[in-house]
Amino acid sequence: MTSIVLDGLVQGLQLALLSVGVVFVYGLGGVLNLAHGQLAVAGGLAVAILRSARWHPLLASTAGVVVAGSLALLLDRTLLRAAYARRGEERLLLGLILTLGVSFALDGFYALGAPNVALTLRMPSPSLEILGVRVRTASLAVGGLSLLTFAVLLAFLRGTRVGQAIRCIIQNEVGAVLCGVDVERVRTLTLFVSGVLAGVAALAQGFSSFLGPEMGTEFTILAVIVAVVGGVRSLTGTFLASLLLGLVNSALSYTVGTYLTWIVLLTVAVLTLLVRPEGLLAYWP
Amino acid sequence: MLRAAAPVAITALLLVAVPALVGGSSYGLRIASLTVIVATYAVAFNLLFGHTRQLFLCIGALAGGGAYGFVLLVRDLRLAPPLALAVVAVGVAAFGAFLSYVSIRRGFGVLFVGVVTLAVSIMFHNLLLGLRQYTNGETGLATRGVGFGLGNAPQEGYLVLVGVLVAALAGHQALLRSRHGLAFQALGEDELSAALSGIDVTRYKVGAAAVASGLIGLVGALYADVNGFISPSVFALGHVDIPVFVALLLGGMRTLLGPVVGAVLFSAVDEVVRPFGQLTVLTYGTLMVVLFLLFREGVVPAVQRVLLRAWARRLRARPTPPGVEGEPVAYVAAPRTVLPPEGRNTASEGGKASARDPSPR
Repeated sequence: MTSIVLDGLVQGLQLALLSVGVVFVYGLGGVLNLAHGQLAVAGGLAVAILRSARWHPLLASTAGVVVAGSLALLLDRTLLRAAYARRGEERLLLGLILTLGVSFALDGFYALGAPNVALTLRMPSPSLEILGVRVRTASLAVGGLSLLTFAVLLAFLRGTRVGQAIRCIIQNEVGAVLCGVDVERVRTLTLFVSGVLAGVAALAQGFSSFLGPEMGTEFTILAVIVAVVGGVRSLTGTFLASLLLGLVNSALSYTVGTYLTWIVLLTVAVLTLLVRPEGLLAYWP
Repeated sequence: MLRAAAPVAITALLLVAVPALVGGSSYGLRIASLTVIVATYAVAFNLLFGHTRQLFLCIGALAGGGAYGFVLLVRDLRLAPPLALAVVAVGVAAFGAFLSYVSIRRGFGVLFVGVVTLAVSIMFHNLLLGLRQYTNGETGLATRGVGFGLGNAPQEGYLVLVGVLVAALAGHQALLRSRHGLAFQALGEDELSAALSGIDVTRYKVGAAAVASGLIGLVGALYADVNGFISPSVFALGHVDIPVFVALLLGGMRTLLGPVVGAVLFSAVDEVVRPFGQLTVLTYGTLMVVLFLLFREGVVPAVQRVLLRAWARRLRARPTPPGVEGEPVAYVAAPRTVLPPEGRNTASEGGKASARDPSPR
């Protein structure tokens, strides 16, 4: 029982890492990034390739995260500019279609260029005994990595001027502009941060099982569903939704089969939307 | 009236002539059948997304529901094929209408409808895999000989599919030329204004969803019959929804012939890149991005514009040409794309300082 809950929490944290980036970009730019999972895969594959080139694990991981961030930056500076030139639903649609196209292009590129690359990060010992419960060290690593990332993220949002500007834009873009916030620059920074978060999520996936070139779409779908359930603009809501879906997922995979788990998981997500279309928490904390 | 019927009639003639053109090659006929199927899905998706802005990302699931429903009804419940086809079409239509109604009631915007229908299509996929005793899981079902037996007569199968497509096109045109056409036009441009001018938005959207879903379900069932084999992966998102989406964008949203032209172009591109395996996905993605950035309105509106310009030049050269003042090219003449050309919205407000998206829903 304890191990199921623990597993669920860790899965939830990993989901949160993946979806926070989507929430950020949507909240700030009004673009739902459907290539987010592919960014994560880019980071993960980069780490795997560098590892096979005998780079130090820490160095390779950092490089992978930077690769994911840079790819997001490139996306922002090139294609998404066209979307940002519009507003409201037009922007959303154009962003949706452009990022969907990018996600396919990247998927094809990975399948073509790195079909057999996969990322697995092994811990020195497979499991530990803590307070009488056997815990996978991988789970500890994922949990620690996620919590550390969120702590840094929160400190950044609460403590720095840029973080303040980000929260300001999420609340009201016009107001932020009137207060002298350079929306475009903050948006670019946010996309970079979301890419970095995707890279970290890829590392977490590498710890808990493995990451292959074909997993981008699955990541994107998970991230988008969690983000929508959590309320597309709320960080805390996303966090809660991730933990909820992580727990449901781990409890169900233990009791019923994989297929039914997916069905129930998605039903939970859809029902949450029906009951609270604003998401669990509608606004930023 | 005659002039208005010409585009659909010419399309029908061209499509009927295809079997003679491919010279009875079964491979060519198969590709043609698949193209017609994608075109029909795209007609339905045009009604859903182009006209009423309902981003249904479950076309594959609706089609698969039709296909599996049809096969199970005929094979296990021994229903007569025509009856089963009707039951399936009505059932899928009801499901689509339900999705649409719930979305409207809960005030979901484009994005949420997209996410909910995406969830529906993943659920459907897992349902097919899970209910192995009925669906045979990933292995799929052999459907040859079940139903009308079109799988053994590819020529007839192709003609039936063409018949459905032409009927759908004619229906689409009749609908838009009718009293309701104006309502659909208004809805597609601005929902709030449409509602304020007395259009029952809910009724039109749910109606459109029902008709489109019914059509998708029907074609899905026919696909099972013609193809002789169905499996979860032939109705997967990447196999149905994405080609349909790209075909519609390519051909031109909210145009009569856009879905057909787009499907034909898409099939042509697909044939060219197919030998390269994984290159196809890369090509689709790149194509989608490039097309949408540079060529947003689609092929049909662009061609129409060129033709109209040439026509206008001729008109200017001859002050009173005979027979031109009849019917104009009707609604297809100047469709507004969902995403207007650059500068339309931004000119007055300034892209950078624009107000942000008012609501995520």
